[in-house]
Amino acid sequence: MDTLPPILVVDDNHDNAEIIRQYLEVRGYPITVAYSGDEALAVFDQVKPALVLLDVMMPGRDGWETCRLMKQHPTLGRKVRIVMVTALDEWSDKREALQTGADDYVEKPFDLPKLATTVQRNLAMLSAAS
Amino acid sequence: MNQSTLLTDSGDPQITDALAQLDAWRAVVVPSQEVARAIGHERGVRAVYVTAESPPTLREIVECAHAKGLPVIVGCKDDAARRRAIELRAEEWLRLPTDAEEIAGRVRSAIMRQLPGDAPNGDRAERAEQAQMLYDFMTGLPTLPVMIERMRPQIKERGELVVVYFNFVRYSKIEEIYGWEKLDAVLETTAAGVKEFLDGHSMQASRVMVSYTNDDDFIFFHVPPAGEARASEQQITTLVGRLQEHVAQRIEVAHGEDIAALFEIYVGLARVYYNPKLRLERLIYRGIREAATAAKSVEERERARRVDDLRTSLRDRAVYVDYHPIVVATTRQIFGYEALARGVMRSLRSPEVMFDVAAEADMIWELSRLCRSRAIEGIETRLGPGELLFINVDPHDFADPAFTEAEVKDPSRVVIEITERTAIKDYPKFRERLKAFRAQGYRFAVDDAGSGYAGLGSIANLEPDFIKLDISLINAIDSNFIKQNLVESMVKFANDHGAQVIAEGVERSEEFETVKSLGVHLVQGFFLHRPITAPVSGVIAVSPKA
Repeated sequence: MDTLPPILVVDDNHDNAEIIRQYLEVRGYPITVAYSGDEALAVFDQVKPALVLLDVMMPGRDGWETCRLMKQHPTLGRKVRIVMVTALDEWSDKREALQTGADDYVEKPFDLPKLATTVQRNLAMLSAAS
Repeated sequence: MNQSTLLTDSGDPQITDALAQLDAWRAVVVPSQEVARAIGHERGVRAVYVTAESPPTLREIVECAHAKGLPVIVGCKDDAARRRAIELRAEEWLRLPTDAEEIAGRVRSAIMRQLPGDAPNGDRAERAEQAQMLYDFMTGLPTLPVMIERMRPQIKERGELVVVYFNFVRYSKIEEIYGWEKLDAVLETTAAGVKEFLDGHSMQASRVMVSYTNDDDFIFFHVPPAGEARASEQQITTLVGRLQEHVAQRIEVAHGEDIAALFEIYVGLARVYYNPKLRLERLIYRGIREAATAAKSVEERERARRVDDLRTSLRDRAVYVDYHPIVVATTRQIFGYEALARGVMRSLRSPEVMFDVAAEADMIWELSRLCRSRAIEGIETRLGPGELLFINVDPHDFADPAFTEAEVKDPSRVVIEITERTAIKDYPKFRERLKAFRAQGYRFAVDDAGSGYAGLGSIANLEPDFIKLDISLINAIDSNFIKQNLVESMVKFANDHGAQVIAEGVERSEEFETVKSLGVHLVQGFFLHRPITAPVSGVIAVSPKA
């Protein structure tokens, strides 16, 4: 039985995706992995993730575009929390991120405990809202 | 007879019953490890139903099936299996144990969903995109292509159609001031208001239909029903008038008078007559253009009237000032007031609208002078001891020869707010003017700070005493960690430069608590106070609004 909300991990780098999957799965989160923005959008409807960990730099549809499209989903868009996986150093990067509707970000390379904290604080916002 | 085959690794007797519900199907059962191979040589296979648990086996089966363009249904014992099925992009999955009904249903829908075997993921994403394009994601209203299809039979039958174009004009600055999230929320209120109104109206349902153009305009189509006379111009005008009123009221209730004042609704009508020689789409688009032009000309007339209103207001000095309290975050004590000039005439009540009209009519300096002098009167009449007056000054005003440092008796009571949004053309000259004002004791605030991409560098250039954060950063800051991060860095920057940060547009207790915890020094917003004509003093007991 899943008790924790489902998470969709999107990263074109299979190794990265696997590391995140294992780390979060051990903590009890049901994880689904997609290796591109298109794949992520294709499974979005079925997975109904509470949170998406979205890599920004991907070939094809990048993380920003994927984020925007997910946030526009008629039923899931409002609820889903999107955490961008990227370093947002500059003011302008963060402004741009806000423009896509992203809720949070974690920097690459990962600090896994920090990733878990980020996931937790975003899911906490979700349960606060419901 | 041409039979369809369901290839499966499951001996579940329910499958036989399931196939009986479909038309001419048979099952071929093979062990899991052989399913992939069987896909290649078994005849008539139209779908694959697997319950294999081993991930490599499952993967192989799905890949083989997709290579042949066959849909796959996965029977899942647990959630891990379900997630694997989704990851592998099986067309359908179901939870085991199951019954015949469900198996039959999943087989049917898997076949519906199935894509050609070589279809890349992009196709699916594209399908999802198209599905989204048909309905506006924010309002849930159908977009035009959907509407035209729905009306096609009716308009053919009745031969005519009325297009009502509902031009929802927002003052261009609304998104700049409040951020796109606010505008989205207002548009949603509008759509809800429109739907609500039509649901309760006799001209609703099949006769009046609404579409949304993905920006901020609505289009109504009225097709007279069979056997009834078409609605007269008079009836439609009445309907539209009541609708306008209804929507305006909804916005005001949900978002306040200030925001409601930034929206105008103009309406135009056009009639379209069916002509079998012409494509219906083109006829309708032409009708929409005509109706939009009609709406535009109403808007222009209205604008011209406002310019007249402004002239009259300037002559009669018909401007009054609201004072919006700015409080210390930690103590909630009043620190100062932002002066907000408003027109006495209802059409010019909103300061944004008033200045917009003035800019259009080239009367900015006159209006600025009037507003400044009205605001400054408040130092004597309105402010308590030690409280500061924040006044908005457009950078262009510094070029006005009538605007000088000598305008105020005690400049140390005045903070001049300069918006980050206006481009400053002649920077060195502008800084000279600031220096002269500063020498007299005036202080400066950068308004709407962080609204653009420019970041902190351009703020540092103005050496402000106060940094007023852009409202879009404050709206829902409690649930957005990127906004929190931005505000935090702004506070740090301010502390390093001896400035104080003001958060404006604080409307909810959660927003207030968040900005306070981030170290924001001063707070302004409806959560604490509404703008008032007579300022209050002292500590305010704050109770969250319902």
